[in-house]
Amino acid sequence: MALLEVTNLKQHFIIKKGFLGEKTTVKAVDGVSLFIEEGQTLGIVGESGCGKSSLGRSILRLAEPTEGSIKFKGEEVTDMNAKQMKELRKEMQIVFQDPYASLNPRNTVRQILEAPLAIHNIGSRKERREKVELLVEKIGLRKDQLNNYPHEFSGGQRQRIGIARALMLEPRLIIADEPVSALDVSVQSQVLNLMLELQQEMNLSYMFISHDLSVVQHISDKVAVMYLGKVVEISDVEKVYSDPKHPYTRALLSALPVPDPTQKKERIILQGDLPSPSNPPSGCPFHTRCPMATKECAEIVPPLEEKTPGHFAACIHT
Amino acid sequence: MLLKVKDLSLSLKKNGKYATILDHISFQVEKGETVGIVGESGCGKSMTALSLMRLLPEKARLDGEINLMDENIAKYSKRKLEKIRGNQVSMIFQDPLTSLNPLQTVGTQIEESLILHRNMTKEERRTRVLKLLKDVGLPRAEELVNEYPHQLSGGMRQRVMIAIAMACEPQLLICDEPTTALDVTIQAQILELMGEIKRRTQMGIIMITHDMGVVAEVCDRVIVMYAGKIVEQGPVRELFQNPTHPYTIGLLDSIPKLGQRKQKLGSIPGTVPAPGNMPAGCRFAERCRHTMDICRTTVPPMFDIKDGHQSACWLFDEKGGDQDGVVRSDELETALHH
Repeated sequence: MALLEVTNLKQHFIIKKGFLGEKTTVKAVDGVSLFIEEGQTLGIVGESGCGKSSLGRSILRLAEPTEGSIKFKGEEVTDMNAKQMKELRKEMQIVFQDPYASLNPRNTVRQILEAPLAIHNIGSRKERREKVELLVEKIGLRKDQLNNYPHEFSGGQRQRIGIARALMLEPRLIIADEPVSALDVSVQSQVLNLMLELQQEMNLSYMFISHDLSVVQHISDKVAVMYLGKVVEISDVEKVYSDPKHPYTRALLSALPVPDPTQKKERIILQGDLPSPSNPPSGCPFHTRCPMATKECAEIVPPLEEKTPGHFAACIHT
Repeated sequence: MLLKVKDLSLSLKKNGKYATILDHISFQVEKGETVGIVGESGCGKSMTALSLMRLLPEKARLDGEINLMDENIAKYSKRKLEKIRGNQVSMIFQDPLTSLNPLQTVGTQIEESLILHRNMTKEERRTRVLKLLKDVGLPRAEELVNEYPHQLSGGMRQRVMIAIAMACEPQLLICDEPTTALDVTIQAQILELMGEIKRRTQMGIIMITHDMGVVAEVCDRVIVMYAGKIVEQGPVRELFQNPTHPYTIGLLDSIPKLGQRKQKLGSIPGTVPAPGNMPAGCRFAERCRHTMDICRTTVPPMFDIKDGHQSACWLFDEKGGDQDGVVRSDELETALHH
């Protein structure tokens, strides 16, 4: 049994537009199915507005999903009441992108790290203290830094504090939403190394949301590529990166600048911009920019099909 | 030589004290050449760009020479500078939304530098604006001239920025993280466009970025900056294949590479020293694995490696450290790849 299993998840937002307040629906997540195994990392890649962050938030029910099923350890999450949700959040935690905005500037690191334990009433005061001290060393900070405030730390250190906070309750799954995007590369590498070490040590599962293809490739076992609220391709990292089946994935990979000047590759330059999620194209959402698009693409919504064993893509031409 | 910067230093006043932001920066840009400036946040790469255009706060202290086609513009008056800005030298910024005026139409903003620098009639200007919009690959130019920045997508806005920068056919274009705010497929479009414009116009480009991938794909030469100093520079292939400065090596090792999954990435311990509190010797000495006594006391000069490849590291001093002075020493190699 997979640790997390998401089936046909939809997250629709209703927004008002224009002077008369006409209502339109933004289909931020539109029928996503995926699963994450114990101890594995699923990477979610896509460009801005593809719904990758909304997906993470609706799995945690930080935004109420419109439709679909989320099963954690076999239990349906969407039916849970507030009390059950609180229990569940011990096992499912989130790390946010901006380490500057996600830590309370008026609390010391000790207070920040103890908060999850206090909220869930875990351990005595002394036990909490000990637990915080143990974890803080694991993430590479010193005990005497516990009484400092977030502004006294660098961006990378703050992100490590964010990770430590997520780990306080010993969760099984961490949803990391662009955890390294705000960091410089030499600091980014430290945080990635830390996440990989912690995963091995604690058999953690990650859902790693990022726009950065090389980072996702580095940390993930499986990867899902999203476009306008839909998963267009999902498989093992090696399969997706070495033999992409969806034209969008091909374009994304070919557009990725590679830090090797000797490697000259054929770039697929997509025409135009990402269509607005409030007014997505008919048929295949990618057909307006797709170099392979034909007339059918504007009519048929392509299903996510198994193209080769274990490799799914939503395209009628591949 | 299009641009020759010599010993450019910049100090800014902070809390009543001057702090050195740039320290003796020297580099050159030839006609038709793209020079990348890379480094992490706070290394001074953006300040270098702003210094070249003299877009600095009032109390800034700027020393050294900025020779633009053999004219030192470092001491030019405001008036003379205005003749150059947007005319011979243009600049593109990271965020096209904040650098465009939200209250003016696209057409007006592109026209502005033509009014300032070119003696053109209204009709000629309109024709030129439409041509510029077409050149940067924007569709329906006739309608677009009357639209406002908020009506455009991020990629289109950046194209408008490029059209503004190209209006007077500058000899030098300075781009400060031009694609950082864009998605990767849009980034590919913009980089393609810039390459095309360069081939057509033979202008020189300074490309400031933190993305080693962008550097590798578009630059001819690259300058690596750390804490306000140039630590290494050279032809792009040479520098990527044979990086010599421990900082450059650390930086390249910390990038996740395709095909190397879940391996431990290189990292650089410690943090960048704060401006105003720089160490006496090499600024990287605190974080370097090869620190020698001399590193802590004396600032390393640029040592020649080969063919325009230079490195500011004492390991390449022929009198000490590195023995052959051509490639990095075996010790360095093993220490970094163990």
